[in-house]
Amino acid sequence: MLGNQPAFILYILPLINVLWPDYLPNAFSAKVISLEQKAQGMLYIKLKVSKRWPGFSGGQHIDLFLINNGRIVTRTFSLCSPVSRWQSHREIHLCCKVQHNGSFTPLLAGLAVNDRLNVSKARGDFVWANSQQSTTFIAAGSGITPIAAMLLSQRHWLAPVTLIYRVKTAENAALLPELQALAKQHKQFSLFISDSAVESAERFIDSLAHFQSDQYYLCGPPAFMQIVRHQLNMFNIQDDCIFQEQFGLSVIRVDEKNAEDLVQATFFHAGTNRVAHIAKGVSLLQGAEDSGLSPRFACRMGVCFQCVCQKVTGQVRDMRTGILSGHGEEQIQLCVSQPVTELVVKL
Amino acid sequence: MMMPNAQQLDALQVDLDALKQKVQEQVGESDARYIKRVLLVQRLSAISGRIFMVLGFITPWFWLLGVLLLALAKILDNMEIGHNVLHGQYDWMNHPLLHSKRYEWDIVCDAGSWQRTHNYEHHTYTNIIGKDRDFGYGLLRLSNDLRWRVRNLWQGGTYLLLSMLFQWGIAYHELAGQRVFSKKKKVGRHSQVSDQALKKAFLSKGTRQLVKDYLFFPLVAGPMWLWVIAGNLLANFIRNLWTSTVIFCGHFTKDVHTFTESQCSDESRGHWYYRQMLGSSNFTGPTYLHILTGHLSCQIEHHLFPDIPARHYPAMAVDVQAIAAKYGIAYNTGSFFSQYVSVFWRIIRYSFPGGAKTTRLVNPKHRVQSML
Repeated sequence: MLGNQPAFILYILPLINVLWPDYLPNAFSAKVISLEQKAQGMLYIKLKVSKRWPGFSGGQHIDLFLINNGRIVTRTFSLCSPVSRWQSHREIHLCCKVQHNGSFTPLLAGLAVNDRLNVSKARGDFVWANSQQSTTFIAAGSGITPIAAMLLSQRHWLAPVTLIYRVKTAENAALLPELQALAKQHKQFSLFISDSAVESAERFIDSLAHFQSDQYYLCGPPAFMQIVRHQLNMFNIQDDCIFQEQFGLSVIRVDEKNAEDLVQATFFHAGTNRVAHIAKGVSLLQGAEDSGLSPRFACRMGVCFQCVCQKVTGQVRDMRTGILSGHGEEQIQLCVSQPVTELVVKL
Repeated sequence: MMMPNAQQLDALQVDLDALKQKVQEQVGESDARYIKRVLLVQRLSAISGRIFMVLGFITPWFWLLGVLLLALAKILDNMEIGHNVLHGQYDWMNHPLLHSKRYEWDIVCDAGSWQRTHNYEHHTYTNIIGKDRDFGYGLLRLSNDLRWRVRNLWQGGTYLLLSMLFQWGIAYHELAGQRVFSKKKKVGRHSQVSDQALKKAFLSKGTRQLVKDYLFFPLVAGPMWLWVIAGNLLANFIRNLWTSTVIFCGHFTKDVHTFTESQCSDESRGHWYYRQMLGSSNFTGPTYLHILTGHLSCQIEHHLFPDIPARHYPAMAVDVQAIAAKYGIAYNTGSFFSQYVSVFWRIIRYSFPGGAKTTRLVNPKHRVQSML
């Protein structure tokens, strides 16, 4: 109340920033220890996090905060290092693909050793809860990161564990040396590489029949997980034995003809209204930004709920599930909502 | 002054849009650094002001210094930070505090309510009689477009009272417009929020401010409580007088024009720009004056580009003035003193019956496509 802001920390933030210029509320400082560009545009970053950082479980993800030309930008990344490394050295590792046309990963690639940035606490429920049962992990591409963190963090190998790692070219596969070393160390753990240049998608899917386990963990592009899940269901594996993490934002493809159709969206913002015409294939966040507005955002993939807004009227589609909303007043996440009908949204 | 025709208004739009685009491309790190520095000065003066006020037991000069520092903090919070942040000028920073959706300022007016009446009503319908309730705030007759009433005879006094209690006037503005406490609703007036929500926001923000300045801080001050109450009251008065003076000089100077609803129905974007230029006035002064006014000393540029970070307005004013000259549009500027004198003249002149109508006559043919 004294400072008129939602939290007292926000009132004294300018004073804190005099001493710690990078300090952000609800975030933790981290320092770049090393930064390695690997083949196929993969970037491997080691960070040393502050003592206050509360830790993580293998499989969880964090938000990274960077400042670009005065603007705080955020993206979500899965951690790929063992929990023990954080416990002993306060070190966490990230592995991501640099998207040269993207707005975040090139900034990340431009960091230097000893640069400081902010990270959020770890979140997400894609964790290996029951390691006493036999488990099959199925990862594709950069979907390996959370699964690598789970496997590398494991201390006691109580049941057979299999990792099926589908990659484009095996020599350059991210985190492969670490996983191969792990397989050598523990007899309970077996690693299978499926190179898409050698093994066709059909053969790969058929080969899943050989891997029988009590539980399955999937991570990869949405289409890949959809097919694998469907195949597992065909083998009579129940949904409650399958755990999956969506990696990146899955976009349900709207009919190509409609993707560029424009829908009128009226945004009430700071008391004024702005009418924008947004393509059906674009998120409302992107559409609002393209029309000159700057709604609050962070992860841009439906995880962090920073961009939640009140929709007054109109219908939107959830880009992850394709599910259509109602037409009335409700809260929506701008970053994962596409316009379907004419909209009125309070930013 | 020549009246621009429809083509000229379209060309005016192109020129002003180009200027906006040029400045928008410059917005970035230096703006972020600037607003954070203003925020730091605001915090330091607020905290030191409250401490110095209590140190008034050593010498009353400390108390006076404290009052002035707190008044400075309240002015910065109200103008350069609050007003501009709530306009969304810094939304692009994605900052946890400096965002129009999150910021709440140190005045009794609820930020959301102000955004609706000011950002929407006033900035959209600037100086349209009957639509922009900021023109005279429903209390003052400032042109012969409004019917004279007996109460206008003492509007000089009403103005001084409004200036001293300006924050309460602003806080009550939306409730008055919606006639929340009256059963006689205005026909056709639409509200984004219910009367109940308006009352709740008004009472809760007002109470919080009163408790903070006149209960909490006096209690903390112990034996100096009375001095702190007086000091906070004085700091609020200074801020109120300052903001009201700045705003009056930006809108109610002698040559500011008004418009009628019919002139502005279906108006083009170019006409909207034209109306903003004629509906506002600037005043000149040193950099510190611009900062203390939240750069509303460049009210014309603010009305043309309400979401551009305000520190760019003085530089933009040079271009805007040249564009105004190109199209023969009056550009109303002068010294702070001369503009204030003309405001006072206007208030006094229209307290008596008669006087000139200040509406611009616009040929209906000048209206082209809809802007909204």
